[in-house]
Order: sequence, then structure tokens, then C-alpha cells
Amino acid sequence: MSALLRALAFLTVCAVLAGAAPHWRWPSLPRGVAPPPVPADNPMSAAKVALGRRLFYEADLSINGTMSCGTCHAQKHGFADDNRTRPGALDDAGRRNVPGLANVGWLPALTFADPGLTTLEAQVAVPLFGEHPVEMGMKGKDAELVRRLARDACYVRMFRKAFPETRGEITTAAVAKALGAFQRTMIAFDTPWDRARRGKAPLPEAAARGEHLFQTQGCANCHAGSNFTDGGYHRLLPAHDDRGLGETTGSAEDDGRFRTPSLRNVALTAPYLHDGRAATLEDAVAAHNPSITAAHMHDIAAFLNALTDQGFVTDPQFALPESACGKRL
Amino acid sequence: MSSPRLLLIAAMLSLPGAAQAQHAEACTEVPTLPAELAGWGSAHGTVEAAGNAKAVKATALPTGHRIEAALKPTGEVRYLARPEKPGGSVSYGGMFGFRADTDGTYRVALGSAAWIDVLNGKAAVVSTAHGHGPACSGIRKMVDFPLKAGSYTLQIAANGESAVQVMVARLP
Repeated sequence: MSALLRALAFLTVCAVLAGAAPHWRWPSLPRGVAPPPVPADNPMSAAKVALGRRLFYEADLSINGTMSCGTCHAQKHGFADDNRTRPGALDDAGRRNVPGLANVGWLPALTFADPGLTTLEAQVAVPLFGEHPVEMGMKGKDAELVRRLARDACYVRMFRKAFPETRGEITTAAVAKALGAFQRTMIAFDTPWDRARRGKAPLPEAAARGEHLFQTQGCANCHAGSNFTDGGYHRLLPAHDDRGLGETTGSAEDDGRFRTPSLRNVALTAPYLHDGRAATLEDAVAAHNPSITAAHMHDIAAFLNALTDQGFVTDPQFALPESACGKRL
Repeated sequence: MSSPRLLLIAAMLSLPGAAQAQHAEACTEVPTLPAELAGWGSAHGTVEAAGNAKAVKATALPTGHRIEAALKPTGEVRYLARPEKPGGSVSYGGMFGFRADTDGTYRVALGSAAWIDVLNGKAAVVSTAHGHGPACSGIRKMVDFPLKAGSYTLQIAANGESAVQVMVARLP
């Protein structure tokens, strides 16, 4: 091979690598916390995260343009919703309470009752195309979704930057990848509890007592680890009209079992439980232990309130974008 | 206002999740509406939504009456303040001017779940309560705003249809 050809080959490789995936830097994480797992076919990039953020707030992802991911996952509520359940774009009744998204990239399985749903990219199909219930109502409308995005010149540019390996082809799979990448950046490790663990500022006395109760009275058996979930499926109350895990597995043994929700930002995510039946934190705690004393309830609530990351719920990098491609939206 | 009525209104406004219950109900007759929503019972014409700040001055929404709001495609609307939930290109929206004659709490009742803002100038007034209307009333959403006497702009965003029923009414 001539020197010229070798140089051309080298430049070509450099160009491909440069376009494929610019280096991604995770924000600083607490000691001992590794970055969230990232699917091999969806490496992180700033361009992909920027696209995912815009798509997260894009109501054209719903059949009638009324509903985006951010419609139900509101930042001020820790990316949860303050309704028991949320009707879909066409007003179909919702079934389950909207979960918060803090540190969602670390959760081993997503939604309340599907252990097979293990990536954010796969989960996108649930609200987008799901029929039980109908949320965004786009089942069978992939081509329409692509058409809507492709007529926006800025989206075309953003897809090209985010997915140079496909020359920016706009597909629902690419939409899901961008949304997954953005949601992986929803990192929240700066609560009063986290700061106390880092030795920066002790928890207030009531919260500290509440943490002791939380650890010793069995709460931490399921609400375990730094995200306060064991990722397991448990039956808290008798099964009613929602079989929960049993609906997925077909086993009556699993009826009424639902995934342990994370407790990060829990004070902002009311109402609670899989169907939102518990209006307040106190109602939710009482559903776990009806005989809890008032003093213990006070302390447990103080501890749960120490799990709010105010920076996370006000961080502009997670908010509805003000601009794209250099223009105000 | 009687205590049972107060309880009914409080329940409607404080339990947003209960909104889902009405979706499954088969409505066979129109319910008797409480006094503050009585104006919803009779239509008061159609009002074309404004698509920009200049046009808002020409749209006057009467208070205390239900009107048919004719909306514009979202892409044609230049909102005074960007809505928190802007709506997609296939949705509809628009703006309306209205006047609060006296200080008080004003309720915006809507026949859909569209996003609404009440603006004082370009600043959004913070709502004090939200909820759903009485079952089978056709009121899908109600939001209360504390207003001083003066002129305001109602912004409607992310509506799925090109028309929506709306009423602004002062609470007793």
C-alpha cells in the first residue's frame, strides 16, 4: 500500500471514530457508585442526550400532539406525577401511578410489574405504543411519528449529530435510544441523606432517628441500597383488579406483587403505591405498617423528606429546553 | 354555600386522581351544576383564539358563560409566555383576553385536558387548585386562580382538537 493510500485510510478511520461517539463524561458520582450500565448498541454522547432531552418534552410523540414524556414525568415532582394515575392522550384511564425517574439508569427492571423490561430503550415502547392502557396512542403510527420529526429541520440536524453511524436516520428505534441516553443522565445523589453519608452535614435529629427506624424495622429489607429498592416484586396489600406481576408471569402466586419503587425524591412524588391510592407519605407508610406510632411516623417522614435532591428537580439540564439548533423553541 | 356543596367542590378540586373515575361512567343525563358552574349549562357563542400578542387585545372572553373556543394549529400561535406543556405540531392552542371585574378567585373550566395558563402581562399566575368537573358535566378540567381586578390572558396549549369548550367564572 502506498504511503498516500495508508494516509487516506488513516484519515478515514479517524473521521469515522470522530463521528461515531464523542467521549462521554459522567458527572462525579459518589464513591463506590459506578456509572449506570449502557447498552452496547447505544453508547452515550452529548448530541444523543441533547436530542433525547428535546424528545422527552416532544408532544408530537403522542397521537394528537397533547402528551410528551414530560407531561406525566414532571421535573418538579421528581419526574413523577401528582395524579393517582394519568389518563392517556385520548383520555383512556390510566392504570398505575407514574414513577419518578431519579437514577432510573441503575434500576434493574422498569415499570411496576415486568421483570423482562430491563432497558430504558425497551421501556419507551410502553407509553408510546402500549394499549393496556393506551397512553401516547402511537401503536401502528411509526411512520407518522417519523414524518412529524423529519419535517423539522432542526430535528434532522440533531438526529444526524446523534446518530452519525446511520447518517441520522429517524426511526422509532433511534427515538428510543435518544430517550434512553437522556434518562441515564437523570442522576440524583445530592440529598441531605447523601450529604450526611459523605460527612458533610449530619441529618436533623428526627431524620436520623427515622433512618434508624427505617433500617431496623424492616423498611430497608425491600427499600435497599443507595436507590432504596431491591428491584424485587412484593405484595403489600391483597390483590385487587390489578394482578401486577401475575399479569406478566401468568402465575397466581405473583398476583398483587409489584416492584419496590425507589424512594429518591419520595416527598415530591405523591400520591403513592402502584395505583396511587395513598395520598400522602403518612398514608403510604401506614399501608406498610398500620400500627406505627405517631412518634415513629413523624421520624420516618422526616427521614423520607431527607431524600429530596432539590438540585435535581431544578436543574435546567433536565428541563424543557428553551432552544434547539441555536433558535428559541 | 351549603356545607355539602362545599364538600363536593373541595373533593373535586383536591382529588385530581379521582378524575379517572368519570371516564368509565356512562352518562345518561346532564347533572345539576353548582351555582358557580351554572354558566356552563348554556353556550354563549364561539370565540376565535388569538395567535399573537396583538390579536389578544381583540379577543374578549366573557366571564360566567361557556363559549366554544376556536383554536389554531399550535405552529401558528406565538404565545405571550411559553406554556409549560407546549403541545406538538399536530395539536391546537391559542390565547384569549378576559377581564376580572373584581378581586377574587376565578375558575377556568375546560372541556378537555389541555394545558392552560392565566397571564398577568407575560407572567403566569400561580393556580391555587385544580381538579375535574362534576361527572357527566362535560367539564374535563378546572383550575382556580387568585386574581386582582384587571385584564388577563388565558393561554390554551396542547389541545387535541381545533375547538374546546371553555368558561372563566368568578367563584362566589
